[in-house]
Parts: sequence; C-alpha cells; structure tokens
Amino acid sequence: MQNAARPRNKIEVCNLTKRFGELLVLNDISFSVAEGEFVAIVGPTGCGKTTFLNTLSCLLPASSGQILIDGTPANPKRHNISYVFQEPTCLPWRTVRENVAYGMEVKGRPRKEIDERLDHILDMVGLTQCANLYPNQISASMQQRIAVSRAFAVDPDLLLMDEPYGQLDVKLRFYLEDELVNLWRKLKSTVLFITHNIEEAVYVSERILVLSNKPTRIKAEVKVDLPRPRDFMDPEFVRIREHVTDLIRWW
Amino acid sequence: MSQEATCSAASSSIANETVGQVVDRGPISLGRILTNRWFLHTVSIVAFFWLWDWLARSNVLGAGSSVLARPHEVLEQLAVLTREELAELTLWGHVWASTQRVVIGFSIAAAIAVPLGLFMALNRYVNAIVKPLFDLLKPMPPISWISISILWFGIGETSKVFIIVLGTFVPCLLNAYNGVRLVEPELYDVVRMLGGKRRDEILHVCFPASFPAIFAGLQISLSIAWTCVLAAELVSARSGMGYIIVQGMNLSQPAMVIGGMAVIAAAAWGTTLLVTALERKLCPWKRKIVGL
Repeated sequence: MQNAARPRNKIEVCNLTKRFGELLVLNDISFSVAEGEFVAIVGPTGCGKTTFLNTLSCLLPASSGQILIDGTPANPKRHNISYVFQEPTCLPWRTVRENVAYGMEVKGRPRKEIDERLDHILDMVGLTQCANLYPNQISASMQQRIAVSRAFAVDPDLLLMDEPYGQLDVKLRFYLEDELVNLWRKLKSTVLFITHNIEEAVYVSERILVLSNKPTRIKAEVKVDLPRPRDFMDPEFVRIREHVTDLIRWW
Repeated sequence: MSQEATCSAASSSIANETVGQVVDRGPISLGRILTNRWFLHTVSIVAFFWLWDWLARSNVLGAGSSVLARPHEVLEQLAVLTREELAELTLWGHVWASTQRVVIGFSIAAAIAVPLGLFMALNRYVNAIVKPLFDLLKPMPPISWISISILWFGIGETSKVFIIVLGTFVPCLLNAYNGVRLVEPELYDVVRMLGGKRRDEILHVCFPASFPAIFAGLQISLSIAWTCVLAAELVSARSGMGYIIVQGMNLSQPAMVIGGMAVIAAAAWGTTLLVTALERKLCPWKRKIVGL
C-alpha cells in the first residue's frame, strides 16, 4: 500500500533475548516497525508471545538486546507505549469516560485537550451514550473496547495488543476488528498485534511476523498487501492465510 | 435506568448489550400468594412472636413472671423507661451514652488502624515492624482487657472507650491491609504501562481498590464495638444500655433486660445503616445495576 512512502523506522528491536533462568524464551529477535505500520505477530500456542510483548513493553526486563523507539531505548516514562491486555482491565471505580481518559491524565495532558480527544474517540467507537456508566454495568466486550480506546487515546508511539479479542465470539470479533482498523487508520498509530488467530492477523495487519516454537525467534515475515475493507473469501486473502498456517504448522 | 435505556436505544453497534428489569405479571392464585416472599417473611415474624408469647404465658421455662416477659410487656417497659428516669437518665439518655462511647472508640480506632493497615501493605518495613506486635495481640479477645482497663483508667468513660478501640482496631487494620494486598496486579500493569509513577499506582489503584474492603472492615468493627460497649457496661457503669440490662437483672425484671437487648440491637442496626450509606456515597461504582 503506502510502504514505499514510509520515511523511517519507528521501532527497532535488536537481538532481543529473554531467559528465565536456564530457560531461553526469546532467542535473538531482531525486527523493525515503520511509523504508522500495523504488524501482527502469530505463533504456535506457548511459543512465548506474551513474554515477547511483556519484554517489548518493558514490563519484563530483557536479558540482552535492546528496543529502540525513535532511536532511543524504550522507556514507559518517556515514550508513549500503550498495552491492551488479554483480559479487559478497566478501573472499576472510574466511569467509561474516565477510564478512557485515564492514560491521558497520567501523562499530564491539559484538561481541555483530554476532553476534546475524549469526545472524538468515544464518538468514533460509539461509547458516547454509555460514557457515564461504570464498568460493572457493561459487558466484557464493551470493557475491552474501553481498553482499546484508552490505548489509542494517549496517541501512542507503540501500541501493543495481546490477543485482545481472543475471548469473543466470531461476529463480535469481526465487528471490533473493523473498529480497530478504523481507529488505526484515523489515528495513525503504530500497532503490534499479537494473536493466535491467523485469519484475524491477515484481516487487520499490513505485515505478519511468524514466530517459531521455543526458543522463540522470527521464522518468517509475510506482507499483506490487500485493499481494505478486506474480504475473507478473496482468493488472495485465502492464499496468504494458508501460507501463514503452513508456516506455523511446519516448525 | 435512564442511562441504560438510552444506551440500548442507541445500539447501532452489536456490542451494546443491556439487561432491563423483568416483571413477571400473572394472575393472582393461592399458590402464588403462599410462595410470595413477603408473605413468607410475615409468616416467620408472626410465628416468632407468637412462640415467644406462648413460652412466656405457659411457664415452660420455669414458674413465675421473672423468667420471660411477654412481647407487649417489653414494649410497655420501654415506654416507661422513656418517661421515668433510671439513674438520672431516661431511655434516650442511656442510648445516647452507649452510642457516644461506640462512636468515639470506633472513630479513634478507624482513624489509626485504617491508615496503619494501608501503610503496612504499601511499605514492607512498616509491615515488618508492626506485624509481629499485631499478631501477638490479635488473638486476645478485647473483653479480656476489661479488668486491666478498669485498673488503669477507673470506671469512667476512658476504660470503655479503650475496650472499644482495642476491639475494633483489629478488623479495621486487617481489612485495610488485605484490601491493598488483594488488588488485581493487572491494574498496576495498566498504570505502569501508561507511564504512571508509584504515586499514581497508590492514588489511582491502591486506595480506590481497597475502599470496599475497608468498609467491610468498618462494618465488622462496628458490630464488635457494640459488643465491647455492652460488655464494658455490664461490668461497671452508671449509664448505657448495659446498665439497663444489669438493672433489669438485679430487679428481676425480664421485660427490662429484653427491652435493653432490643434497643441495643436497634441502635447497632442504625449505625450500620449509616456506614452503608457512607459507603454508597464514597463508592458509587460498587452499586448494583439498577433493576437487577
């Protein structure tokens, strides 16, 4: 699509390695992500996908190697890294609106800017009507949408998503994937999306990194250069999906 | 309800799901009345008072009127106590005397124990210093302190407040402590990921998350406070509900004893309602979904 026009790499991961004692989980991983790119990461179950994300997000320290954002080592206090967890993680004592605002408040954005951005984003994901409800008054899928909105709201340098829609039924997932792509295109964030669902990866991303079994390294890289909105039945879509499936199957 | 109604009305998206109230309206039949909740409540209450009255009338528990008073005798005795003074105080004076002790003791304990519990959960050095002392004194029933507190503070107000503070301290502290320790770790990750500092974690996650546990501790403390004040008053007092009960016993007037018991239950229930109302005010997010 617009790959040729990309000026520079936003994220650079150099020789990232993570050990838990003797157990080598991430084995010398290097890759880069361009600014505004949507990259999906797929891999077999238990290949260390979540460890991979946790290391990238600096929740876990890397054993060696480094992660550079705009050329400087990643640091949650300096950089804008957002994370959407597998489980919905709303703060139960904040309303929908306050939850979405939370990231911006921690970052110390001015109140006026927060309010404007909130109106914009809540409107985009259709949560305006429910803005004053508490998380225990809405369903789990809505809570996950809040987490996604909160992650986009801080205008992140890097948005990490850890199987955010893994628990949802197919219909709702399609709907939320469209919403996610829509948010990404409008807000131009850089997204790393982890999933075990290959169809989902092909549907949302521009590029797919296929991980190997433990010790994890990047086994292959697949470009997804399809027009949006994408069609699951499109022969090219099916071909890419089967190609990625084969890559995962034959490790 | 109105918010949810508008929410579902705007459900152009499939993810907006709400549950409204369902009222099952059917024809009234004998079976429905017999299984109605309120009907059954009434049956159990009426049966209780009837059984009580029957026991008092039939002398099953022993001969004479000094064993068990009939329900209406208790009410009459309470009415008398509101008019005539006992030890220079009417019934309201005695209720106030007890309530005052409970409120003072409970407030002192909560004001010290809740912050201390939070500190213990947040700082392992504070925890390491306070916990052994706390564990040492925790299993000691507060009432066992009554005699020593009378030796120390005499039979005045101080000894009673002291007992209440000791009794209510433990649940206040334990609940504040556990409230912080049982916060879901994912919520900290959210703050950390967004670049929050330790201060943000404490202010935005620890404190609000521990509120429900703190209030549960306050409720437990409150009922313990009433137990303690009663025990202290039974041992030595010139006022309060415990004093009325002791007087009833000395005068062989079961109506006065049972009346005192009933009033103390009512007073304890009243203070519990106050704490519940305060919790609703401070933790609106814990409210149930309206209509469910």
